[in-house]
Amino acid sequence: MSQIENVHTKARELLESQAVDCVIGFGKGTTGGSRPLFVYGPEGVEDLIFDETCAHNLAKYLLNRKGKTTAVVLKACDARAVNLLLSEHQIERDKVYMIGVVCPGIKENGEPRDTCLRCGQRTPVSYDYLAGEPEEATVDAELQYKGVAEMEAMSMAERKAFWEAQFDRCIRCYACRQVCPGCYCDECFVERLDPLWVGIRIAPSENEMWNAMRAFHLTGRCIGCDQCERVCPVGIPLSLLNRKLEKEVYETFGYEAGMDPEAAPPFATYKKEESLGFGE
Amino acid sequence: MSKFISRKDLLSWLEGVSSEKDLVAPVQVEGRLLFRRTGDVSEIVLDYTNTDLSPREFFFPATETLFTVDKSNGRAELEPTRVERDTVIFGMRPCDAKGMAALALPYLQDPADSLFAQHRERTAIVGLSCLKACPECFCTSMGTGPDDAANVDILLTEAADGYMVEVMTDKGKALMPDSLLSEAKADKPAPAQVPLVPAEGISARLREAFDDIYWSRLADRCLHCNVCSYVCPTCYCFDIRDYSEKGGAVRVRTWESCQSPGFTKAAGGHNPRADKGTRLRQRFAHKLLYYPEEFGTSHCTGCGRCVKACPVNIDIREIIGDVQKLGKAN
Repeated sequence: MSQIENVHTKARELLESQAVDCVIGFGKGTTGGSRPLFVYGPEGVEDLIFDETCAHNLAKYLLNRKGKTTAVVLKACDARAVNLLLSEHQIERDKVYMIGVVCPGIKENGEPRDTCLRCGQRTPVSYDYLAGEPEEATVDAELQYKGVAEMEAMSMAERKAFWEAQFDRCIRCYACRQVCPGCYCDECFVERLDPLWVGIRIAPSENEMWNAMRAFHLTGRCIGCDQCERVCPVGIPLSLLNRKLEKEVYETFGYEAGMDPEAAPPFATYKKEESLGFGE
Repeated sequence: MSKFISRKDLLSWLEGVSSEKDLVAPVQVEGRLLFRRTGDVSEIVLDYTNTDLSPREFFFPATETLFTVDKSNGRAELEPTRVERDTVIFGMRPCDAKGMAALALPYLQDPADSLFAQHRERTAIVGLSCLKACPECFCTSMGTGPDDAANVDILLTEAADGYMVEVMTDKGKALMPDSLLSEAKADKPAPAQVPLVPAEGISARLREAFDDIYWSRLADRCLHCNVCSYVCPTCYCFDIRDYSEKGGAVRVRTWESCQSPGFTKAAGGHNPRADKGTRLRQRFAHKLLYYPEEFGTSHCTGCGRCVKACPVNIDIREIIGDVQKLGKAN
């Protein structure tokens, strides 16, 4: 059976047995691509599709379904997002059924996403059921930190000018945050009034503060799905910022977010022997 | 007979405009097409379907200081912001021009919003007819059309080696005097064929479908990312805050969106649209029911930007079709 037929069979089985209330997968969209699809009964499972237009990270939706049983169709990056949420105790493992799919690499307007070219995974690291045949990806090592090395080669003044020019066109719609599986605070710092962290102006200084603080909050937590960059209506290269920080975390702690739900996240861990840098 | 201006003459006219006023035109910015102030006519993009963001920021800026309070000499003096310069927006599509007119209805209602009124007074719109439709647009179903000249000061339509010119207002006449124009030798090219959506009677159907589970199901996939309302030419909601600054204070207004969870949260914590479904319904009901009831015209102009920009394919064209069926089912 094909991968999608396996997804249909598994989804039907889970809904019929009432093991889950809902299956979140991909369905056909209106503009030639796909879109997230919520299936609540076995009669809807045939509408589930999976192809190279299925760019969305469906793990985000699990945050809206706390306490309810949900099966979710997961590509490799999306499965890492589920692991991130598990490691941060945002969702319960026994409420989530992970239907893994082997990802062909996602295309946008017929071209492979940069994200997918540098992704070392076609098969999810975690799943309850794998619908396809496991596959290794061929990764272009040069692409892994594409743009990061160039950014590191810039002087501080050049870097500042580069990011100022990018953040200048930010309209603070917060789509990057809304789509991000790692952004789930009840009250985001940017909307907090007391204390006021960032003013409401959509202007260079505030835009820079917003984008920089969001990047720091994601450090060691970004799973590299690049949904933020995909949805940004003004094309800010947010992935570049996140990959720079992930590179730092990897080089310092050897940690990659979402690879292992049991691994302790570096910024949520304290070891007694760690130096606090207070000259002790 | 129509008037005509050659491409070369148009560009030198724009050059002249930019030396006297703020010229705003479509410009490529890092792979996006955006309306930007420009003094360099050579960077203006002439061949495009539409810009990624609407031109509303030149009437309703993303951030604007409404007034400053100066307390430096012992008294509090309130100084309202004034719009000091004239602006000419070049290349606005008829859907967006209708959008700017749609913004004016609430903003110029008594008491008029003084800043919006000044922007509108000091801005001239040079429209550009659409000869090619965007894949997502549906303007003819929303009370406008690809060559609608109703909301611009001058309408240009691209023709061989130049543009057909229709000067619609006195403001337009002052901006582009007759002496620059010649008699057109050919007929105006046919406008774009724009796909239709079944919008007839949609307001009534929306009211009937108000409590349908449809909205909650639709909201399942909505991320409440606000993109739809930020790319929209007609969304006009805002937030206001006061800030202390050295020697006084300022009152600042910025864009806001009905899709953000805190938007309707009131003092005391009550939130009349606390769930995602009612917030999503609000957006479509405002476009197609509340605003039309109040102002007699659609609040959607069919530009299609929200369809193109939505990360999860929430498509107003599809919703219009769905609601027509829901209304009838009830």
